[in-house]
Amino acid sequence: MPAPTENNPGSFLGRISIRRNQVMSMDGNHDQELEDLELFQKHVGDRFSELFSSTTEDPSSDALLSIGWLRKLLDELLCCEAEFKAVVMMGRDPSQISKPPLDKLLPELLDRVIKSLDVCNAVTLGLDAVKNLQRLAEIAVSALETRPMGDGQVRRAKKALNLLVTTMIHEDKDCGSTKGTERSRSFGRKGFNGGNKDRGGGSLRALSWTMARNWSASKQIHAMSSNLTAPRGAEATGLASPLYIMSTILVFVMWTLAAAIPCQERNGLSTHLPFQRQLAWAQPMIGLHEKIAEEWKKKEKKGTVGLLEEMQKMEKLGQSLTEFADSFQFPGDNERLDEVKVQVEELADICRKMEEGLEPLQLQIREVFHRLVRTRTEFLHVLDQAGKLSTPTM
Amino acid sequence: MEEHKPMTTICEQDQHMVAAAQNILKGLASSKSISNELRKTLLDLEIQLSTMSTINERKGNGIKLLERELQFVEDRVKSLETNHISMASSSEYLKLVGEIQTLTQTLQQNFCSVNEKWKHKELVQRANEVMQVVMSKLEEELVQILVQNKQYFELDYMLFHSNSVDMVYDESYVSIEDEQINETSRSSDDGTIDLVNPSVLEDLKSIAKAMFGSNYHKEFCHVFIASRKYALDEYFVILEIEKLSIENVLNMEWYSLNRRIKKWIQAMKIIVQVYLVSEKRLCKQVLGNFGSVYQICFSEISRCSIFHLLNFGEAIAMRTHTTENLFCLLDMYEVLDHVAMDIDILFIEEVDSFVREEFHKLLRNFGDSIKSTFLAFRYAIATNPSNKCFPQGGVHHLTRYVMNYIKALVEYGDSLNLLLIDEVSTDPTASNDNSENSNLSYCSLACNLRQITTTLESNLCNKSKLYTNEALQHIFMMNNIHYMVQKVKHSNLCNFFGDYWLRRRVGMFQNYARSYEKVTWSSILSMLSDESVSTCGTKRTLKKKCKDFSVAFCEVYKTQTGWSVVDTELREDLQISVSQKVIHAYRSFTGRNSSDIDEKWIKYSVDDLQCCILDLFQGSSKSLHHS
Repeated sequence: MPAPTENNPGSFLGRISIRRNQVMSMDGNHDQELEDLELFQKHVGDRFSELFSSTTEDPSSDALLSIGWLRKLLDELLCCEAEFKAVVMMGRDPSQISKPPLDKLLPELLDRVIKSLDVCNAVTLGLDAVKNLQRLAEIAVSALETRPMGDGQVRRAKKALNLLVTTMIHEDKDCGSTKGTERSRSFGRKGFNGGNKDRGGGSLRALSWTMARNWSASKQIHAMSSNLTAPRGAEATGLASPLYIMSTILVFVMWTLAAAIPCQERNGLSTHLPFQRQLAWAQPMIGLHEKIAEEWKKKEKKGTVGLLEEMQKMEKLGQSLTEFADSFQFPGDNERLDEVKVQVEELADICRKMEEGLEPLQLQIREVFHRLVRTRTEFLHVLDQAGKLSTPTM
Repeated sequence: MEEHKPMTTICEQDQHMVAAAQNILKGLASSKSISNELRKTLLDLEIQLSTMSTINERKGNGIKLLERELQFVEDRVKSLETNHISMASSSEYLKLVGEIQTLTQTLQQNFCSVNEKWKHKELVQRANEVMQVVMSKLEEELVQILVQNKQYFELDYMLFHSNSVDMVYDESYVSIEDEQINETSRSSDDGTIDLVNPSVLEDLKSIAKAMFGSNYHKEFCHVFIASRKYALDEYFVILEIEKLSIENVLNMEWYSLNRRIKKWIQAMKIIVQVYLVSEKRLCKQVLGNFGSVYQICFSEISRCSIFHLLNFGEAIAMRTHTTENLFCLLDMYEVLDHVAMDIDILFIEEVDSFVREEFHKLLRNFGDSIKSTFLAFRYAIATNPSNKCFPQGGVHHLTRYVMNYIKALVEYGDSLNLLLIDEVSTDPTASNDNSENSNLSYCSLACNLRQITTTLESNLCNKSKLYTNEALQHIFMMNNIHYMVQKVKHSNLCNFFGDYWLRRRVGMFQNYARSYEKVTWSSILSMLSDESVSTCGTKRTLKKKCKDFSVAFCEVYKTQTGWSVVDTELREDLQISVSQKVIHAYRSFTGRNSSDIDEKWIKYSVDDLQCCILDLFQGSSKSLHHS
C-alpha cells in the first residue's frame, strides 16, 4: 500500500476505499491490521500536529480557540471519526467486535458518544448566547463609529458596553450554576417581578440557553475521561487501540468546546485529562491541552465567559472602551480618539468574524452531532448482529 | 409644518414678510401666559420660517432659532425625567423623537458660514445627546410594554388529554398579569392568537418606527428578541415541557418517558401551529415595515425552543425500540408530519434552512425507526420460540397479540403505507384476486400485514407440531386461523386483507376441521361399518364392535372435553358436524343389527351420544361413567 502523502488530506476518502478493499480481501491478516492501526495513529498525530503548529508557527492562520480554529478542530474530529470507523468497522466480522476486550470498551466509547452529544447541544445553545453578545457589541460599534463623536453616542455605546461586560460575567455565572435554571423555573407563571431594577435587555436572559436541570458540562467531561485508560500489553496492538484513540479525541474536543464556548455549569472543569504521555500520536494533543488548560486556569480565577478567542478580545475591548466612555468629555482628546478608533475597528472586525463564523460553527457542531448519532447506531447494529449470530434462533 | 419644503426661490418681498412674521412669532412665544402646546407650535412655525430664510443667506437667525427649539426639547426631556412621569408617557417621548428628528434634519439641511460652523456642530451634538436620552427611555418603555402585556393561552384541560391528532383546540387566553380569561384577545380565523395585548400594538409600532427612524434599530431588536424569547421559554414551562439531556432520555424507563412524549406531542402542535404562527404574525405586525428584519427577529426568537423540541425527538429516535414502542413512535412521527408544512412556511427564509433541514432530518429518522421496528416485529414473530405445547389447543397468546397489534397499527395506515413503500416484496397471496372490492388491499401496508400473518401462520404450524395428538394439531390450527379470520372480518383490517385472503383462511380452518374429524372419527366410525359384519355376522363380533366403540368414544370424550374451542359458533358447528356423522353411523349400525344386538351391549343411546358430543371442546376434562 503506498504511503499516503501527509500534505494531501483531500485523498482521504480514496484511502478509505483502498483500505476497505484490502480489508475485504485480506480478512484476518494480522499484519495488514497492524499496518492499518499504525496508519490511523499516524494520521491522528499528523492532524493534531497541524492544529498545534498552526497556532505557534503561522501568525496569519486562525489563532488558538478562535472560531476559525474551532472549525478546523471539528473538521479534524470528523475526519478522524470517519477513519476510525473504517479501521474498526468496515469489512469486519461482527463477532470480532463483540469479543473481549471490545465487549467492554465499545459500550464505554458509546457512552462517551452520548455524553458528547449533550456537550454539542450545550455549546450550540452557548453560541446563541455569544450571538447576543455580538448584537450588543454591534450597538457599541455603530455608536462609536459616528463622527464627530459626541456625548450622546458615547453614552449610547456605554450602555451597550456595560450590558456586554455584565452579561459576560453573568452569563458565566448563570450558565455556571444550576441556580440560574432553578430560579427561572420558579418563575412559573408570574413572569418578571415588577420591581426588578435591572431591566435592560441583558437581564432578559432566556431560559432556552440552559440545558436540562442539573446537567453539568464539567461533570460530563469528567465522566467521559475518568475511565479512560490506555490499552496495555497485547491489547495495545489490537482493536482496543483505535477505540482508545477515538475516545481520547472525543474527550479532548469536547473538553475544548466546553472551555471555549459558554455552556451550563463549567465550575471545576477539569484541567487534567488522562493522556498517555509516551504515545507518539498523543503528543500534539497534549501540547494543545497544556496550552488551553493554562489559559483556563488563568481565566477561571477571574470568572470568564469562555476561552473563545473572539470573546476574550471582545471582553478586553469592551472593558477598555467602557473606561474610555466613562471618562469621555466632549469633544475628547485627539490621541485618545485615535486609539479608540483602532479599538472600535477591532471590535467591528470581531463582530464581522462572529457574524460570518458563528452560524457555520453551529452547523458544524450539529454535523458532529449527527455523525456521532449515526456511528452509535451503526455500532449498535453490529453488536445486535453479533448477538444474533451467537444465539441462533430456530 | 411637514408640508413646507425649503423653496429655492423666494423673492425679496417674501423675505420681508417672513422676517415680520418671525418677529411676531418670537414675541408671542416669549409671552409667559401661553401654554406649552401653543408655544411649541409657534416655535415650530418660526423654525420653518427660519429655514426659508437660511436659504436666503439669513443664517444667523436660523441657528439661534434652532438652538432655542433644541433648548425647549431638552427642557421637556429633563422635566419628563425628573418628574418620573409614568410609563404611559411613551407618546410624549415619541413626540419628542419626531421633533428631534425634524431638528436634526433641519440642521443637516442648513448650510452655514465658517464662523457659525462651531455652533452648528455643537447643536448637532446636543441633538444627538438628547436623542440618546429619549431613545434610552423608549427602550425601557419597550421592555415594560412587552413584559406587562404578554399573553399566554391555555388549552382546555379535557382537550389536552384527548388523543386525536386533528383535534381542534379551544384556547382560552390568559393574561399573565391578572390571570383572567380575556375574551377580547381571542382572535382571527387563521388560528393565530394575540401574544401581546392588542391594545399596545400601536405603541409598539410607533416605538419601532421612532427607534428605526433614528438608527436605534439594533437596540430595538435586541430588546424585542430577548423579551419575546423569554416569553416563549416561559410558555414551555406552562406546557410542562421539561428539558432533558440526551443521556437522560436514553436511560429513562419507558413508562416515565411516555408521559413526557405525550406532552411533547401536544407541545409540538401548539408551539408550531399556534404559538409560532402567532409570534411570526406579531413580528410582522410590529416590524413588517422594515424589510427582512422581522424574519430575522422571528428566527432568533424561536430557534432555541425549536432546537429543544427537536433534540428530545432525536433522543427518542436514538433509543432501541421494542414493538410496544412503535405506537409512540408513530404518534411522534405523525405529529411531526402533521406540522411539517407549517415548519416549512414559518421557516421559509434562507437563514432558517437549518431549522427546516433539522426538522426533516428528524422526520426521516422517525420514519427509519418505525420501519426498522416494524420489520423487527416480523422477525420477532418468526423467532418466537416454540418449545411448549399450548394447553387445550386454544388460541395462542402470540396469535392474539399479533392480531390485536396489527389491528391497532392500521389506525396509522396512511403513515405506515408511505413509510413501508419500499418494503414490498412480491406477495403471491394478493395477486390472483380479480374481484377485489377495495384497493387498500394492494397497498404496501397490506402486503406487509399479509406477510406478518403468513409468518405467524408458519410459526403456529411449528407450534402445532409439538402436540403428539394429531387431532389436536388440527384443532389448534383451526382455532388460531379462525381467530385471525374473525379479527380481520370484524375490524378495519378487512380492507387491508381483502376478500381473497379471507376466503382462503376460511377454507383453511374448515380444512383443519375436516382433518380433525378424519383423524379422530374415521377409525371409530369404521368400527360401525358393515363390511366385516356382513361376511361373518356373528354375535361375538357385534358385541366386540359395540364394546370397542364405547371404549373409543369414551376415550375421545375424556381427552377432547379438555380441548378448547373458545368461539361458540365454531364449537357448535364442529359439534354438529361430528354429531351428524357419528349419530348417523351409530343409528344405522344399531338399526341394521337391531335383531342381533343385545341391549346390554349398548352403553350409550343416541341421545346420550348427542349430549356427550356437546361436552366436547369446552376446555374442562370430563370422563364418562362406566356403568
